[in-house]
Amino acid sequence: MHWRAMLSFTGAIIAAVGLFMFPALLCSLYYKDTGSMPLLISMVCSTFLGSFLYLGWRKHAPETVTSREAMAIVALCWISAGLFGAMPFYLNEAFDSFTDALFESISGFTTTGSSVLVDIEAVAPGLLFWRSMTQWLGGMGIIVLSVAVLPILGVGGMHLYRAEFSGGRQDRIKPRVRAAALSLWKVYILFTVLLAILLLLGGMNLFDALCHTLSTVATGGYSTKNLSMGHFQSAYLSIVVTVFMFLGAVNFALHYQALRGDPLALWRNSEARFFLILVLAAILIIALTLWATQTYVSFLDALLAGAFNLVSIITTTGFATTDFETWPSLTKGVLLLAMFVGGCAGSTAGGVKCMRIQLMCKHIFSECFRVIHPHAVVQVKMSGKVVEENVLAEVCGFLGLFAVLYVAASLLLAAMGLDMVTAFSASIAAMGNIGPGFGSVGPAENFAHLPAAAKWLLSWCMLLGRLELYALIIFLIPEFWKK
Amino acid sequence: MRIVIIGAGEIGFRVAQRLSMENKDVVIIDRNPDAIKRINDHLDVQTILGSGSSPVLLEKAGIQQAELFLAVTDSDEINLTACLFARTLAPEITKLARVRNQEYMHFKSALTREILNIAHVINPDQEVVRSLERMIDIPGALEVNHFAAGRITLTGVRVCSQSPLIGLRLMDIPERYRDTRFIVAAIVRGEELRIPAGKDAIHDEDIVYFICESPQLENVLSLFTPCSTKIRSAFILGGGSVGLLAAQRLENKGFSIKLVEQDAQRCRHLAGELDHAVVLQGDGSDGDLLREENIRDMDVCIALTGSEETNILISLLAKSLGVGKTITRINKFAYVPLARTIGLENVISPRISAVNTILRHVRRGKVISSVSIKGEEAEALEAVALENSSIVHKPIKDLRFPKGALILCIIRGDEVHIPDGESVILPRDRIIILCTRPNIERVEKALAVKLEYL
Repeated sequence: MHWRAMLSFTGAIIAAVGLFMFPALLCSLYYKDTGSMPLLISMVCSTFLGSFLYLGWRKHAPETVTSREAMAIVALCWISAGLFGAMPFYLNEAFDSFTDALFESISGFTTTGSSVLVDIEAVAPGLLFWRSMTQWLGGMGIIVLSVAVLPILGVGGMHLYRAEFSGGRQDRIKPRVRAAALSLWKVYILFTVLLAILLLLGGMNLFDALCHTLSTVATGGYSTKNLSMGHFQSAYLSIVVTVFMFLGAVNFALHYQALRGDPLALWRNSEARFFLILVLAAILIIALTLWATQTYVSFLDALLAGAFNLVSIITTTGFATTDFETWPSLTKGVLLLAMFVGGCAGSTAGGVKCMRIQLMCKHIFSECFRVIHPHAVVQVKMSGKVVEENVLAEVCGFLGLFAVLYVAASLLLAAMGLDMVTAFSASIAAMGNIGPGFGSVGPAENFAHLPAAAKWLLSWCMLLGRLELYALIIFLIPEFWKK
Repeated sequence: MRIVIIGAGEIGFRVAQRLSMENKDVVIIDRNPDAIKRINDHLDVQTILGSGSSPVLLEKAGIQQAELFLAVTDSDEINLTACLFARTLAPEITKLARVRNQEYMHFKSALTREILNIAHVINPDQEVVRSLERMIDIPGALEVNHFAAGRITLTGVRVCSQSPLIGLRLMDIPERYRDTRFIVAAIVRGEELRIPAGKDAIHDEDIVYFICESPQLENVLSLFTPCSTKIRSAFILGGGSVGLLAAQRLENKGFSIKLVEQDAQRCRHLAGELDHAVVLQGDGSDGDLLREENIRDMDVCIALTGSEETNILISLLAKSLGVGKTITRINKFAYVPLARTIGLENVISPRISAVNTILRHVRRGKVISSVSIKGEEAEALEAVALENSSIVHKPIKDLRFPKGALILCIIRGDEVHIPDGESVILPRDRIIILCTRPNIERVEKALAVKLEYL
């Protein structure tokens, strides 16, 4: 195992985290709030330590890394970003303990958006800005991860995207991984700028607009308001945010193709199409239910609220315009299912991803088909291309593992004394990187009241979900530590 | 007229046979001594033993004096190389080449344009799938041929016992069915093909060839075979290139398809290429498999495996299992009439299709399309009447037209006219002529006799 390579990579990430604290520091200085010192100290520490690690071991880093090293590097990067990102929170009085600070930071870098803050508006603006920034950085990280690392490691069926990014046929956007990541970042930054302008036009002040932009394109969900997006009470803002949450949950490679003059690429891709249809169907069910049960008097209001909150959940963002905890149970059921689905692979969204749900459905259908036609040869296809058997097996393995871990986490939470709804929804909200759950961690509540052990467990779940399970799970397998 | 053919396989043999019978000057090149011997034994044509792609042999074959060059060996590459040399040695020659590789067909323009300048690229697989589609599109028909850019069809059909036309004399039919206009071109009864007169009547089990306007075809067919149903589902056996192509075409038309193939690897490939078709791995001649997959409820069974014996057996088996219609792929010419005698009426053959396409190009003058019906005995020709031809400006009854030939149709602009004795053919009319084989040469002369003075 090349520990040096790992240290140098991790150092680079820590230094980058430190450097990105600078905008937050500027913001803090502008508002003359209590966040300036913690941010300054953390920035200097992280940048210094990170550069030290990076420069110190860069020369010894090997040209190539093995796949288990790559896995370990990915996990280390996220964990260390979480640790160093938590430093400004820990040094500020708004957070009670290291546990809370770390929970908030990891929730940021995994683009989850679960918060331990009870009164968000009372926290220093500089720290709120940093909170949103962690999500934006997390989103950037996940794009690289899904472009460069996962397809090559083939985690949970991500082999399917190998061709897409590194040497396949028509889906290929750029031949080299580095170039591909850069072009996707361009799309990401373009969306960020565009959304910030649109939010400013909608009457948000610059601070709120920037913070919400950063956490929307990353499908994170940190808001600067106690009532989340509900604070603004603006149809325009909620429509704009709905659209960008949706865009953030679609494969960025498709966005890139669309922006390069092939807008139909989005429709030709079977996963994006499936996601769109799923979202529209779910919105319709929710809006009709809300309207029929007189939760909203006007159908348009029901549609707006239904669309915003469903898209927020299914894209694993986690904003809320209203407390959907009070909605009828059918709508809550749909939202809970949406938590499990998540967005498309190659996006900033979490969850198990539409691609896996779709492949599983097709696989099940093909199995049924084989029962009816014992001699039939069936090939599962995505976007007209045959999906290899090993990809299907990986997907099934991933889904099975996800289910097992979900159940285990839920039971552990229940053992810690959480009520059943809270336990079973908090675990998926963390593993799917969504944010709010139901019960006492619903959209109007927060995670502050949970016991410290539950917060550690949920932080772990967020990392698990974000790193597609395997990158963390392998640490638990003895085989990993063998020479 | 001198014609150089390379490749003395089944297609080369047939084309050479037909052309030599019509007293054309044929040279055939092949490197297989047995094939050359077979040609020498049966046909009166010049043969050269050697590679068809050799420019030396092409020159020796007199390609400079030839008008037509046919490259019909089994190898695409030899055919194309030969065409390249033919182009250099005799720039004006008309070239026809057989190309089987589907990938080459995707870039057909590369073959037909500048460098090679091939007049017609013949892909037996595509030709056979095209005739298969026609059989399926028009249920009940044994053979469908289009003329005049598809406006006129010549259709062969077996008269069904419930047909209201049975017993009617041909001269009485137009009066009885005023709305559906058609003309019977030929009747095959038993083994004999006859060009009927007005007094002849239609019998049960006759195979009737008739001409009608294409939009009318369905109505006319329903008179001859009221019992046949529209085809919506197909059972295809054999997943080779023809099987795959056929399945893809039919799938696009919304048919429900089951495709049986023996090779597991190939099955996986097929399942990847096809969207809705059910791909089954198994032996096509296994009755249990066919029964298990409900072959009875399928509208048509298409046997397309590489072995014609297997295809014949599969079709007979499918018939016994209760399939309404079977289509059998047969390669050997000798088997075609045999298949008919054992009740397999719908036969497709890549080679026959290819030979028909080639002959269409060989016909002299302004013959636009020609097909052979009832295997070989008669030929339907579509032609443009030339200003200086001996058949124009005269009533048909005064024409010195050979006995075994019949003018079926005159197309003037958009008008389709079914002629009687008083009709007059004008220059630039398109005419469709049916003639039995011994008369082909005379008909050709009548159509193009003055061409050489142009």
